[in-house]
Amino acid sequence: MNNTAQIKAINRDFAAGLDPEGKLRLSTCLQCGKCSSGCTMRLETDILPHRLNRMVLFGMEKDLLASKAIWMCVSCQTCVSRCPMKVDTPALIDKLRALAPKAPDQETDRIRIFNREMLKSIRRFGCVYELGLIGKYKMRTLDLFGDLAKLPMMLRKGKLKLLPPKRNGRKAVAAIFKRVRNAGRVK
Amino acid sequence: MNYSFFPGCSLEATARDFLVSTVAVAEALGVRLQPLPDWTCCGSTPAHASDGLLAVALAARNLAIAEQLGPDLVVCCSSCYSRLAAANQAVASDAEFRGSVAEAIGRDYNGGVRVRHLLQVLWEDIGLEEISDSIVKSLNGLKVACYYGCLLTRPKEQSIVSDPEDPRIMEEILSAAGAEPVEWPYKTDCCGASFSISRTSTVERLGAQILRMAKRSGADCIAVACPLCQSNLDLRQADIEKSAVERLGIPVFYFTQLLGIALGLSREALGIDRLVVDPRKVLRKSASAS
Repeated sequence: MNNTAQIKAINRDFAAGLDPEGKLRLSTCLQCGKCSSGCTMRLETDILPHRLNRMVLFGMEKDLLASKAIWMCVSCQTCVSRCPMKVDTPALIDKLRALAPKAPDQETDRIRIFNREMLKSIRRFGCVYELGLIGKYKMRTLDLFGDLAKLPMMLRKGKLKLLPPKRNGRKAVAAIFKRVRNAGRVK
Repeated sequence: MNYSFFPGCSLEATARDFLVSTVAVAEALGVRLQPLPDWTCCGSTPAHASDGLLAVALAARNLAIAEQLGPDLVVCCSSCYSRLAAANQAVASDAEFRGSVAEAIGRDYNGGVRVRHLLQVLWEDIGLEEISDSIVKSLNGLKVACYYGCLLTRPKEQSIVSDPEDPRIMEEILSAAGAEPVEWPYKTDCCGASFSISRTSTVERLGAQILRMAKRSGADCIAVACPLCQSNLDLRQADIEKSAVERLGIPVFYFTQLLGIALGLSREALGIDRLVVDPRKVLRKSASAS
């Protein structure tokens, strides 16, 4: 992990654009590190939460959007729950993900691809069609053999359904996706 | 007692045993769970990772349906619980955002439905005494590590208990059924959740820590309230044993399955055979102690 941040000038517009009303309370961060010591991904991530918060305030957009950290957050909510200042790092990371086109390497990008395929499944079926989602994900990532041996057992135990579900509300869900997209939000 | 009920995607598929055991236990305790008509996905992780409005709108659509049925909506999956509770908070605290959500779902929703986890209904509405009086086959000192994972207690504003760092609600309910919950430090640690497929190595690393600690703390089995926790600790346990070169053999039950056994319900009714790590030895131990 890189322990020094190289900054030439502070760009305040980045934080202001991400959180115009200050709801995430980024500027209240005391840099105490309680978030980072409890972070589920602290051993694997490239930027710890307290550092990531400060980088947003410094306006280090390029470094943040090219980080693994924004994809490696597992949304466990430990950081925000323990933060003495209630800085909402998970919500901040959600906003950063929405700005980043993809993750910096293939391995981390699998997380983004999985999320995107799951969202597509929800849009199409109104709920998650697990077998279809796994198939699409495997085709997109070429991770063809992982867990393959478990499939027969999962089908036998009724943990996976062969056919997609038919939820009556699926059209209403597709309409929600459309309206949110028309409001200029979802990519 | 009547409640509307949000099953969610996982309970219809990978966590079918959570659904059947929930319905069976509820019936045995005189609770009627009316599934929400036309429910759809709560949006789960990928929606909030992509857009805040989409995430709240997908959850709020279900809450707006529930509003017409009654004041309370009962949820079992901790991820669904978390998304529905977060949507409530989001629309109730921001009028402008509530307006955007109303536009997205085609009706106004003010955050008025009480989203409740099944554990809360059992503890607050049924009560430990009533549960204890309904037990026909005590779990007889079965040593259980109650595992809450993340989203039942975090963020604090949505926690189902007053002490999010040391919840005891599951322990108290299973104690009322005769079990002997163990003290252990990892009950609210994260299992890696939705990384199960996209970053399996993380889930195996975290799972190994959790399973080992449960074993070291003297637990015969683990009780969970989340489909992802269950699958990460149960379905992946053989792989975890292989990479950890250690035999673990810890069955991972939904808390409803253990409670159901104590209420005298059959293995079939509780979906016990759907568990991957064989629970028979542990259950025999509990039965022979009686």
